[in-house]
Amino acid sequence: MATPIEMPKLSDTMEEGVLSAWLMDEGDQVSSGDILAQVETDKATMDLEAFDEGVLLKKVIGEGDSVPIGQLIAVIGEEGEDISDLLDEGDDDGAADAEAAVEDATEPEPEPEEEPAPEVDVADEPAGDGQLRERTPEPVPAGTDAEGRRIKASPLARRIAQEHDVDLARVDGSGPEGRIVRRDVEARIEEGEPAPPPEREERAPEPAPQPTAEAPTYELPDDEAPYASEDISQMRKTIARRLAQSKYSAPHFYLTVDIDVEDAVALREDLNELAEEQGRAKISFNDLITKSCALALKDHPYVNAAYLPDEGEIRKYNRVHMGIAVAIDEGLITPVVRDADRKGLTEIARETRELAERARSRDLEPEEFEGATFTTSNLGMFGIEEFTAIINPPNSAILAIGEIRDTPVVEDGEVVPGKRMKVTLSCDHRVVDGATGAQFLDSVRSYLEEPMNLLL
Amino acid sequence: MATLQFREALRAAMTEEMERDDDIFLIGEEVAEYDGAYKVSKGMLDQFGSRRVIDSPISELGFAGLGIGAAMNGLRPIVEFMTFNFSFVAFDQVINNAPNMQYMSGGQFTVPIVFRGPNGAAGQLGATHSNSTEALYSTFPGLKVVAPSIPDDGKGLLKTAIRDDDPVVFLESELMYGMKDEVSDAEDYTIPIGSARVAREGDDVTLVAHSKSYHIAMDAADELEERGYEAEVIDPRTIKPLDIETIVESVVKTNRLVVIDESNPFASVASEVTHQVQDRAFDYLDAPILRVTAPDTPAPYAPNLMDAYMPGVDETVDKCLQVLYAK
Repeated sequence: MATPIEMPKLSDTMEEGVLSAWLMDEGDQVSSGDILAQVETDKATMDLEAFDEGVLLKKVIGEGDSVPIGQLIAVIGEEGEDISDLLDEGDDDGAADAEAAVEDATEPEPEPEEEPAPEVDVADEPAGDGQLRERTPEPVPAGTDAEGRRIKASPLARRIAQEHDVDLARVDGSGPEGRIVRRDVEARIEEGEPAPPPEREERAPEPAPQPTAEAPTYELPDDEAPYASEDISQMRKTIARRLAQSKYSAPHFYLTVDIDVEDAVALREDLNELAEEQGRAKISFNDLITKSCALALKDHPYVNAAYLPDEGEIRKYNRVHMGIAVAIDEGLITPVVRDADRKGLTEIARETRELAERARSRDLEPEEFEGATFTTSNLGMFGIEEFTAIINPPNSAILAIGEIRDTPVVEDGEVVPGKRMKVTLSCDHRVVDGATGAQFLDSVRSYLEEPMNLLL
Repeated sequence: MATLQFREALRAAMTEEMERDDDIFLIGEEVAEYDGAYKVSKGMLDQFGSRRVIDSPISELGFAGLGIGAAMNGLRPIVEFMTFNFSFVAFDQVINNAPNMQYMSGGQFTVPIVFRGPNGAAGQLGATHSNSTEALYSTFPGLKVVAPSIPDDGKGLLKTAIRDDDPVVFLESELMYGMKDEVSDAEDYTIPIGSARVAREGDDVTLVAHSKSYHIAMDAADELEERGYEAEVIDPRTIKPLDIETIVESVVKTNRLVVIDESNPFASVASEVTHQVQDRAFDYLDAPILRVTAPDTPAPYAPNLMDAYMPGVDETVDKCLQVLYAK
């Protein structure tokens, strides 16, 4: 029997994907694990892996095509097999929504003989034999493989995977019948999953909104079209959707403070002299801010929180995961430095730089840009003195960081040269009140004005 | 502490309570002149006289009912069944009148009675004399069911059962009566009903076992230790009310559970423990809960078949290795 390959859901927020490149040709022999194509999601370009054996009979969509998740994109089967039924269905559900497409395509096409449509059995049959199974009728992203089949995993393994944002589809099970058990997930985490994010609500990878500084051009030659059209990329769509949602559901207010960063600048210079001598990663000023915010967040739980109306709760996170907005060609993304309150400056510096580099090459794993509990956005390098940012949902606040400027200040009644930096906190008033936000900012300021505290 | 046989510990519990409270009496087949079929009540007739240690005719339905009537009228009977296999002929009294009386009379009558005697298989006794009754009696609201595994628990729990104002089914074992162990001789030594005992601590797998099965669990834990696994052994001691919190707490730690219960498997104590644990600790389970029980057949007579029939250490170790994914 031929097997349909559908557009998989590759990130929490993905709704459709662009097939950016086919890596195999029609007629090629496919083994499980082969990379069929690359798919551009709203966050990253990811590999589309084959889970079946056979011959790539048909590429249903071409490079550059964008299709919703669940839609047929290719067919694998035996040489010469008639796949017209499958292709007809693919046509029929072209416009249907993703879930319907999954059902249509999988129901009449069970897996090869040795696997008699396991997902149907599990869903319909009361599990009276005490076997561990769940009867979730709808596909659960965390518990299904790319083709929507149920992944066998112990409840504990599922829970740990969820807490650590591990995709079970990428874990090998060592238990009976390939069941994924605790040790398998732990091994996967060990291999290089980052530290766990605190919660599992929908994550908000996208960062702060910044006004893009497009220089308007006034030199349109008369004989050319008045504008150029460009397809909206997945990333732009996500940014548009998430930030609009943030701005209309979270009542924003803004608090600005001017921080004396003279000592912090001097400290950073000293630290970097040392770092150079010892061959360690250099620390950016932004790393000092990351650490200051992380420490301050520990003392102000409502700023390290989320307002979750669907769950009827305000969730105060016990851990501090700092999202740091990084501008990339297609838009921006917020890689996450986890447990930044517990990390030293060198580690924060090294990790931030590494994440930012991979963000620019669109090489981040979903778990590396999901799960931030607070976000910062820095436009200081562009000479922006101060600005306001849109909160990265479901965070309750975001810090917009301006440039460090040399400015005259009044000290003991005299005007002297000083170094100052303005930061603006955008707060979600559903969680953070004015005084709460002000106290948090005061803590951030204290850390930056007495930066030796960051070394403790 | 004194080193006592299980039967002596039970006798100490009854004697101490009868010395304390003149309303308590013991009735059953051959409990008086013959000192009890298993010598649990040895010497009690001499000490308390025939008004309080009473030989009954062979009529379980009659003397169980007599006990319930006496309890409703203010006395505190201990009714001994020579074995719990014989309690079946007193079924209506034990499951209908004793547990329902307080409810049906709107609280006018309580039934402070203890039904006690040996329960479960005990070697070559044949199918009709090898029944395990704990699951059966646990299913009726209003009955408390206690099944200790060591003499010290036997003493402390029997004293508590005698003082309890509800009917208590107190399950002993022929094979354990001669078992010797240290027993508290503290004055007024009681153990609360509904509290499990963590007999051995470990992080790798939880074993839950009551009565005779507890000793299998402890031996299995020794064997597992030799293989590098630390088993936690919990004796619930009381089947109903069940101390599920202690069990759940342990499973949250170990993520694995094997229940040993020598009863037949269908709707057994092991089934109930399994259900309650998956209900409360589902997200902590790394493996299916397994049971070690007798098979779903009548008990055989031949010794080799009986060996195969009863839960054993090897089978228990094997199930533990399965949930540890070690085989």
